[in-house]
Amino acid sequence: MNRMPLLFLGIFLTFASSWVGLVAYPYFNLGRLEPLTDEDTGGYLPPARPGLAVAGQRAYAANGCVYCHSQQVRFSPLSTDIQKGLGPRQTVARDYIREQPAFLGTMRTGPDLSNIGVRQPDVNWHHQHLYEPKTVTDWSIMPSYRYLYRMQKIEGQPSDDAVRGLRGPHAPPPGYEVVPTEEAKALVAYLLSLKRNYPLPEAPEPASN
Amino acid sequence: MKSPSFLASINPSTQPDTLDSVERAQIDASTRLPVLLFFGSAIFWLLVGSLLGLISAWKMTHPGLLDGASWLTFGRLRPAHLNTVIYGWASAAGIGVGIWLMARLCRVALMHTKLLVTAAIFWNLGVLVGTLGIIAGDSRSIEWLEFPGYSTPILFVAYAFIGVWTIIMFRYRRPGHVYVSQWYLLAAFLWFPWLYATANILLIWQPIQGSAQAAVNWWYAHNVLGLWFTPIGLASAYYMIPKVIGRPIHSYYLSILGFWSLALFYSWNGMHHLIGGPFPAWMVSASVVASIMMFIPVITVAINHHMTMRGHFGALKWSPTLRFTVFGAMTYTLVSLQGSMMAIPSWNTLVHFTDHTPGHAHLGLYGFFTMILFGAMYYIIPRLVGWEWPSATMIRWHFWLAAIGIGMMVVSLTIGGILQGLAFYDPAVSFRSSLDYATPFRIVRGISGFLLLGAHLVFAVLFIQMVLKLGAPKEGPALFAKPESKEAVAV
Amino acid sequence: MTAGVILLVGGLVFLSGSALAAFYWSVKTGQLNNLAEGAKSIFDEDEPVGVSTDKFPSKTRS
Repeated sequence: MNRMPLLFLGIFLTFASSWVGLVAYPYFNLGRLEPLTDEDTGGYLPPARPGLAVAGQRAYAANGCVYCHSQQVRFSPLSTDIQKGLGPRQTVARDYIREQPAFLGTMRTGPDLSNIGVRQPDVNWHHQHLYEPKTVTDWSIMPSYRYLYRMQKIEGQPSDDAVRGLRGPHAPPPGYEVVPTEEAKALVAYLLSLKRNYPLPEAPEPASN
Repeated sequence: MKSPSFLASINPSTQPDTLDSVERAQIDASTRLPVLLFFGSAIFWLLVGSLLGLISAWKMTHPGLLDGASWLTFGRLRPAHLNTVIYGWASAAGIGVGIWLMARLCRVALMHTKLLVTAAIFWNLGVLVGTLGIIAGDSRSIEWLEFPGYSTPILFVAYAFIGVWTIIMFRYRRPGHVYVSQWYLLAAFLWFPWLYATANILLIWQPIQGSAQAAVNWWYAHNVLGLWFTPIGLASAYYMIPKVIGRPIHSYYLSILGFWSLALFYSWNGMHHLIGGPFPAWMVSASVVASIMMFIPVITVAINHHMTMRGHFGALKWSPTLRFTVFGAMTYTLVSLQGSMMAIPSWNTLVHFTDHTPGHAHLGLYGFFTMILFGAMYYIIPRLVGWEWPSATMIRWHFWLAAIGIGMMVVSLTIGGILQGLAFYDPAVSFRSSLDYATPFRIVRGISGFLLLGAHLVFAVLFIQMVLKLGAPKEGPALFAKPESKEAVAV
Repeated sequence: MTAGVILLVGGLVFLSGSALAAFYWSVKTGQLNNLAEGAKSIFDEDEPVGVSTDKFPSKTRS
């Protein structure tokens, strides 16, 4: 029992260590990673993100997409993420250096989106899906984001950006069209920018078999 | 408030360390206004939070429910639910319990009541502004820190008042032993501002880069549970159980050991939410080891509470405080062992990203912490208002609705989560199957939400009756019944 | 950037400082001695060990 004071001291200092390990270390190390130069094209890895996609990330945050969709591919012997086609390789710290904030996510109520821009590059598909998810996947439990869209009467020619092929109870009646707001366009631009399939030396693609 | 000046109050006086019932009543009464303010607002946010949670739960099986409006979308209601119950309910009620316990254990009447009343007002203003901000679309979508940047300074000002008050109170205590609950409370009140400030500065005001954010995020979120809620809950249990059954804690040595090992291991736990994520392996490994080491503080607390209760379990029949508190204390053991298990990588890879995690979170925040808070409030409120609880039947309804509700929720999410995880793991199984497996369990969870909301409505009615002193007086408040209290209660 | 460094270093100094202070204080004032008595510090003359202090409102004390 008279060792207790020593015990105290040890515990106190170890407690402070979590601050060093889980806050200070990430701050000075993980938080200082630089993009690499792509030797083939002269661009950066990960590639810079267009301004519209940056705005789209704010829409992703405002509407809470992160609560159902993760953005991380775990490494192979631990998980089957790669076999399940979430991405060609595991995601590593450098993949997230441009993310503000980094939406790693903790739930997969919906599919992982690390590489949604690779899996589904079609802009109209994304607008259909956001407006009425059941249009593209009839068993989907994703909520509709039709508040990011405007329904308007077609005057003359249909708008160029009108969403095509909508079905279901909220599909536009004849003579009307559904057009995305700026926020919806930004959100889709962000989703299309989610491509973590470029090569990084620290994350080699596992040999496929 | 009037008697000692601010300066005098931080200068410990020398007074006798005995206490009689009149003094104890005075101390209790001195905390009346701020503690009732924190409790009342906490119960309000509990009702709001349960309703938001209930709607969010049903949206997961019926996505068409209340859709089409931005402010009712799942991605806003769910963080609004989380933040109202974390900051509006659990933190505020925990602060109330902490103030009352601290005054009692320091054996001094509450000073600077206005400080705490101001704090309560600012705290609720912060929660209100933050919740409306999330609903309006300003959520940061950083889990547990969704409140927009314009609301967190209000919460911080409120907290500063509480922190200053705690230190004054502790400094001005009567001489004598510092009880283990005081250790827990003092530590919790000192840890929280440091956690909250760090997380806000590094994630919202001057965000750090990339995946480092996730490390800080989970360092914060897990420590709010481990170094803010858990110490307050255990402080309450370490006071309520011995006081109710009239028997000192079995091993005081174990209780102190449990406190320090909690501080040591819990603070390293957070990264187990990110196993397999984009981090150096050692960070995750350290968290996995620390999570498994949580066995030590948890088992010491479990043994201690069990040995204290041994031979007195009959008291659960007649004491509402004890029934809620022991339910919470037992759940603490269960949820902590489940948490240690979920940190083991081979199990984590199965249940990560599934409903298993919210099941675990509710077991901790509700089954453990909220039940302990209810227990403490059943003990404290009569001593503040000088009025006995009006209806034993309603207390029983509250207990059973809450206990069955949380049981249904946790069992359904735990099993549903494992099935969902099996679907995620097998490359041959489609994503759709994970939904098909989880849906029936999510419906059960949705039903459990009605039970919990019902329990909270019963408790809210009881609280209003207490504050307004409605109904026929019951044999006088226990506190003032000095001759009676000498008698032992039949078990 | 500099704010971050100040925060990190300041936090560490504050943490370790308060830890050492609490340690020094607890040893000096004998908080770690006589632990058996400590457990009884929440009981008083009029609410002594052996007396229960809570009950359902309808149950009468015997």
